[in-house]
Amino acid sequence: MPEPVLSARDFGYSYPEATGPALTGIDLELSPGEFVVLAGRSGSGKTTLLRAACGLVPHFHGGEASGELSVGGRDVRDHGPGELADRVGFVAQEPETQVVSTTVAAEIELPLELRGVGPQARARAVEEVGLALAIPHLLERPTATLSGGELQRVALAAALAPRPPLLLLDEPTSQLDPVAGDELIWLLRRLNEEWGVTVLISEHRLERCLAAADRVVAISAGAAAFDGSPAGYLSWALDSDPALATPAARMFALAGIEPPPVGVREARRRLTQLGLAAEPLAQEADAGAPGRSASVPARRSLRTVRRRGGREPAALEARRLRVRLGEGQGAREVLRGVELSVAPGERVALMGRNGAGKSTLLRTAAGILQPGGGSVSAPGGVALLPQRPDDLLVREQVSEELPGPEGEAALAAFGLEGFEGADPRDLSGGERQRLALAIVAAGRGAGAGDPPGALLLDEPTRGMDRAAKLDLAAFVARLSEAGSAIVIATHDVEFAAEFATRVVLLGAGDVVADGSPTELLSGGWYFSTEVARVLDGAGPISAEQGAAALRPGSRPARGAAREVRT
Amino acid sequence: MRHSALAYVPGNSPLHAASTGPAIAFLGSFALAGFVFAGPIMLASAGLALVLAGLLAGAGRAVRASLRYALTLALLIIAVNALVVHRGATILIRGDEVPLLGRMDVTLESLAAGAVLGLRIAVVMLAFAVYSACVDPDGVLRLLRPVARRSALTATLVARMVPVASADLARLREGAELRGPGATPVGRSALLRRLVAGSLDRAVDVAATLELRGHSLPGPPGRPRPSRGSLDDAPLLAAAGLVALVVVVGTAAGAGGFDPYPGLAVDLGVSTLALAAILPAYAAIPFAVRAARARRELGGALA
Repeated sequence: MPEPVLSARDFGYSYPEATGPALTGIDLELSPGEFVVLAGRSGSGKTTLLRAACGLVPHFHGGEASGELSVGGRDVRDHGPGELADRVGFVAQEPETQVVSTTVAAEIELPLELRGVGPQARARAVEEVGLALAIPHLLERPTATLSGGELQRVALAAALAPRPPLLLLDEPTSQLDPVAGDELIWLLRRLNEEWGVTVLISEHRLERCLAAADRVVAISAGAAAFDGSPAGYLSWALDSDPALATPAARMFALAGIEPPPVGVREARRRLTQLGLAAEPLAQEADAGAPGRSASVPARRSLRTVRRRGGREPAALEARRLRVRLGEGQGAREVLRGVELSVAPGERVALMGRNGAGKSTLLRTAAGILQPGGGSVSAPGGVALLPQRPDDLLVREQVSEELPGPEGEAALAAFGLEGFEGADPRDLSGGERQRLALAIVAAGRGAGAGDPPGALLLDEPTRGMDRAAKLDLAAFVARLSEAGSAIVIATHDVEFAAEFATRVVLLGAGDVVADGSPTELLSGGWYFSTEVARVLDGAGPISAEQGAAALRPGSRPARGAAREVRT
Repeated sequence: MRHSALAYVPGNSPLHAASTGPAIAFLGSFALAGFVFAGPIMLASAGLALVLAGLLAGAGRAVRASLRYALTLALLIIAVNALVVHRGATILIRGDEVPLLGRMDVTLESLAAGAVLGLRIAVVMLAFAVYSACVDPDGVLRLLRPVARRSALTATLVARMVPVASADLARLREGAELRGPGATPVGRSALLRRLVAGSLDRAVDVAATLELRGHSLPGPPGRPRPSRGSLDDAPLLAAAGLVALVVVVGTAAGAGGFDPYPGLAVDLGVSTLALAAILPAYAAIPFAVRAARARRELGGALA
């Protein structure tokens, strides 16, 4: 039996001055070559476990550890992160703070140089890691010019340079678009299969990585709540915390099909075996998605809004909007004549790859950027929540951010009554986000506490677990019912399916598609939900819609039919 | 992404392409002139030389930014010097008697002395700005690491925190702009307080990355990769040597003298003017050599 690359026995840990332990009674063993997914809600202890496994806990963060945790035979309490780096590599969530050198090659070389490795071996390692991660073209690039996805690969390359047998990743895809996120997961799978690297990855979007996993460990309140196969995990999640299950697993559960499928391919195969296929979506099914108003079916609401749009002014309107960013030779046209009209009460998901112009469109609408041509208007007022809501929280007390009766009214409108005396930093992630929303919206509506006519949110679900996303979807639905148009720039197709009544796809600075969520989130590859991919674009995009649409197969799913033939 | 004006951006100029040592020696020689000479003629000459070198190296943004900061600082120094030092024969404004501080006269000499001090600071800031924009910090840290590991660690942390804090500040400013009219406006001091508080968290993250890379490991780092040097090294070293020679000769000859009190005395002798004219010419040497080489290579290729 090979020696485990990681072994924990009754391991526990408390942060300095914390009231309770962050980890307790962890028993875990990872064998060489395993690909293990660490699942759990935000704040459950996943990050702490990963930081303990690379020695940052307790050496860097302080606090008290109990029990045993060893990596490659070295006890993490006796060996610091530097000493462990040839046994374990660690990639954190935030790409910006994970590079410390000027160029990519220097960043990859640094851990070897600090270990006294000679120049030839270093040069060879840089070349090999660069090729293995498909980044040889980046080696001479300054790190300051890299995108988030590229930075994440460079951080991965630097972690892999000392050739550690174990790689830890803490939500590495949370800052990436679906394309870069999927590429990273498959890159990890390749490293796992071809180099034999053991992978332990923490991830919220399980539909992205469960199919690649050999095993799942679920953490709840600092303790291991489940440890087993991906299929076993999905059954456990459906029983104990359905928010931790994948959309396809929830669809199967709602349709009464067992066991839950691990990934799209398995789901299609199971449906084929059972002779089930999705009926074309009835319009009413579109209203069944969570986060939607129960009383107003989304499609009807959309049509009503569009009809109304002819008589009353749009909440947000862009006409031939052009925006140019940068200067000199680096200048480029980011928006190229965008035409967009959003009616009051609409909930729009603004999607597109990185660099498509989503954030630029929102920032121009909010007045941060000036149009180079065309116009953008929001007669009822407009507020923009930027990607990092914490940037808006600068004072020590909630009431100092929003003073007076107008501030109180804004807090009440955003569900924050009673929080006036609290320190913003003590609020939960969702509460901080709502406070930031209240700050950007305060005084922009028609009356005290009224939200503005258009509320724009830029990537609000980064790093959120599914439960928090559902809360946000329900909250923006309430705002839209009060008359605000909601426009959310997002990479998260599952979240878009939860909250949107309309999806606008940007590509190269212009609107390339505009329609209902069922149209736009079911027919493509990257911009499709897991349910839509399972049902091969038959129309349903959420677990509820998919389960309702599954009928004994009069029309086999196209992908399923292909699988049967092969 | 728009970089900070002082951030290093790889380029193809002689300053970028040279090895770290010769590049530092070249810029350091002009900073040395700024420290050694006291007179405005030599200081202005050293400043002009650095502006020329920065522009020729493509670091115009860094030069402009440092001149902006230097001008602000110089005005402050002039004002403070004029208010604190009341020596000098040429009284421009006759002030009242203030307890402890005496008579608050503003003299031409105290203004001039403040201006020359500001000029000296501008020279040092220019040297630092061009260095920061053109010399690869990784190369500097590699030079530093074997002799001062802890200092290298601190320098790496600081070097990384500059662009991170710069990006954070840009976001915080944008956040302040996005606040609704019903929210408390955010002033500069609140913004800076928030930046400092946030920077501490960011510094912890960067420090964690440094820890993971192995900065705290004992033992010497690996030998640097053997460098074949650069064709630009020799012209840079030659220019640095010539500037150092100007500093030595000028000091020995008493050139570039300046004595503001009691009456302004600025050395405008031939030796001072000659040495002042030479410094910008020396700054252009590495660039001229590179251009000549390029012309030769082009001529050879065409032939």
